[in-house]
Amino acid sequence: MAAALRSLNAPQPLGWRLARWAARGAGIGLVALPLGMALLVALGEAGQPAAWQALRDDPQTGPALLSSLVSGLGSTLIATALSLWLTTHLWDHPRWVALQRRLPAMLAVPHAALAIGLMLLWMPGGWIARLVAPLAGWDTPPDWTTVNDPHALALTLALALKETPFLLWTIAALLARPDVAPRLRQQLALGRSLGYPAAQVWWRAVWPAWGGALVWPVAAVAAYGLTVVDMALILGPGAPPTLAVLAWQWLMDADPQRNAQGAAAACALVLVMAAVAGVLVMLHRAVQPALQTRRVRGTPQPSVSAKTFVHAETSVIPAKAGTHTRRGRWTPWVPAFAGMTEGGMAMLWGAAGLALAVASFSGVWRFPALWPTVWTTAAWSQAGAATGTLWTTLVVALAASVLSVGLAVLWLEATPPTWDRATTAVALVPVVVPGLLLMVGAYRIALALRLDGTLAGLVVVHAWMALPYGLVTLLPAWRRFDPRHAWVAQALGRSRLAFAWQVKRPLLAAPIASALAVGFAVSVAQYLPTLFIGAGRLATVTTEAVTLSAGGQRATGAAFAVLQALLPLLGFALAGAVGRWQAVRA
Amino acid sequence: MTALRLVDVTVTLHGRVLVGPVNAVVAPGEVLAVTGPSGCGKSSLLQALAGLAAPPLRATGGLWLGEVPLHALPVEARRLGLMFQDDLLFPHMTVLDNLLFAMPAGRRADRVARAEAALAEAGLADHTAHRPHQLSGGQRQRVALLRTLLAAPHALLLDEPFSRLDAERRAAMRSLVWQTLAQHGLPAVLVTHDPADVPPGAQVLTLGAADA
Repeated sequence: MAAALRSLNAPQPLGWRLARWAARGAGIGLVALPLGMALLVALGEAGQPAAWQALRDDPQTGPALLSSLVSGLGSTLIATALSLWLTTHLWDHPRWVALQRRLPAMLAVPHAALAIGLMLLWMPGGWIARLVAPLAGWDTPPDWTTVNDPHALALTLALALKETPFLLWTIAALLARPDVAPRLRQQLALGRSLGYPAAQVWWRAVWPAWGGALVWPVAAVAAYGLTVVDMALILGPGAPPTLAVLAWQWLMDADPQRNAQGAAAACALVLVMAAVAGVLVMLHRAVQPALQTRRVRGTPQPSVSAKTFVHAETSVIPAKAGTHTRRGRWTPWVPAFAGMTEGGMAMLWGAAGLALAVASFSGVWRFPALWPTVWTTAAWSQAGAATGTLWTTLVVALAASVLSVGLAVLWLEATPPTWDRATTAVALVPVVVPGLLLMVGAYRIALALRLDGTLAGLVVVHAWMALPYGLVTLLPAWRRFDPRHAWVAQALGRSRLAFAWQVKRPLLAAPIASALAVGFAVSVAQYLPTLFIGAGRLATVTTEAVTLSAGGQRATGAAFAVLQALLPLLGFALAGAVGRWQAVRA
Repeated sequence: MTALRLVDVTVTLHGRVLVGPVNAVVAPGEVLAVTGPSGCGKSSLLQALAGLAAPPLRATGGLWLGEVPLHALPVEARRLGLMFQDDLLFPHMTVLDNLLFAMPAGRRADRVARAEAALAEAGLADHTAHRPHQLSGGQRQRVALLRTLLAAPHALLLDEPFSRLDAERRAAMRSLVWQTLAQHGLPAVLVTHDPADVPPGAQVLTLGAADA
């Protein structure tokens, strides 16, 4: 009996158990705890009734909140609608493949760099006006407010343009899953066999079924749009600015009461965000059953409900399918139009990039000349001379990406897959919770630890912001890794460390390189964390680009923006090379 | 060359008994064949013997190699060679590096010589620099067997190692494995759903659906 009760499970070496708990402790102590503390500190600061009163009484609050709502929610609405519409008409089409190829580059370009490029295109003296000038007979830039407009329309469009690739990427990742893509093709084929255009199947069956998976990416887009500061400084309204910019200005004020008012404003944006997330969830719950049971428009009895398509793999064509009258209009021009829209979007991105490049070399550039009259490298000389800024950007981005990926790897190695859901929920807090609120708390913690204005503080906060992306990039690859490789290695008498270094590391080199590139890109793009924790003593290409562009220094701002966009692209190119090298070796 | 002894080995899943208690003695060069329908716990039993059962799978009992209580040792110290239906060669390593991974101790030149000799004996001398994807299924399975043997295991745990091979290669691989076991005097536990895989004279443990 004693033998029957003896555990046959192999005892784990003490060193390994300690290392595992140390890794778990590091994850909780370095990420989850500071995250919670930062939120508590920020909420504590915003909890003063006087701060809310001051916020309510400030005449700027109302218009600023309205601008935030228009830009944040408007851009989310446009980006979501555009992403769903493009996917509906382009998925499984050669154009979809081309679109997917462009997405990583679009994602790598920081928000501020795109905003500066779009400003150079859209401003009254910008490239678009110069193109139109000969036709319109303009000798001077038109007296139009095309950027920094009081209704925040330029900001709304720019945000929509930047967030659409993110949503398309999320959708593409979802639809590429091996358990989704074949089923989706079956649904579409069944729909076609019943005479329904593909678009009907998407809107009646696919989106209601998969909409739930898009609620959080859409919420993240809304959170970003509501609280973005760098893009709002470049393209948003000025007097008053958006509430996020106003909150940031108050938080940077020397007056503690103003600081509390800023924290309250950041908190108000979080409340708006929470309300939006709640509405999204309720909307999905309300719309899904309605759409799934609704008859395809105009179809007489008996109807084919969307559930038929959703359960296509198990269902058969209904017995009375032959009695269906096809009322879903087949409009072949719509996919072509979707393709053109996608092409137009890509062209706008390309034009913004070209505008940045040209502006960075521009000297004298009188209106309405299409190209600069004098080309100069002065802006690049200035950018090149800012070695401190470049050095800070590179060192912080490299250290933060290595730190965040290292932490993510340790965490994934030390935790079982059953922890993944909770891990993801905590890790995504910095993505979903507006950065402004987090930074209020992070700044106070950095002050207490005397980390403000230090390189170490900046690295830690950048790593903190990069960690969710690293974790999300690594998690699928880590969990897909065949555990039997480890079993075989252990059975061969090799240690866990030997296996991790000689087998797992090279086999996962591609996702690790991708996660490093993502972390690097996220770090380079950080604006608010750099401003808060850098405390004015440390600058990166992003803070320089935004400051210079918002201050009207077109050429130098453009040069820094080009650098800001090029650095992450370089990182992704390197990661891609590692992936290809790994594919060749394996 | 020592016998492998299973004493009251019981495997539970979510607290429910999946297999056991199993008692058996596998003499050197002999095979304990575990058969039964899918889902009856054959592979879980093998996993448990290797010390790899992880929650919700739990295993109790004793596993002895002569007088050595293997159940008290960590997986890497048990020296039980594992083979699966997939060869599980490391895809980024050459055939030679896969074999060298199994014998980390000693001078590299000596290790290379041993690996090359083993490959030559198995008719794979020309494939040292190849990567696993450049080999046929049968060749990969032979390399996997060599890798397992070069680690000097005390016993073998075989989880349907022939099921992915075609009929001709399967027969060749079977006779190679039985020959090797006899030659090295290794006791083995073989999990299979195919009665043809069971070597003559093997002990057979049939797990029923009731165990599942």
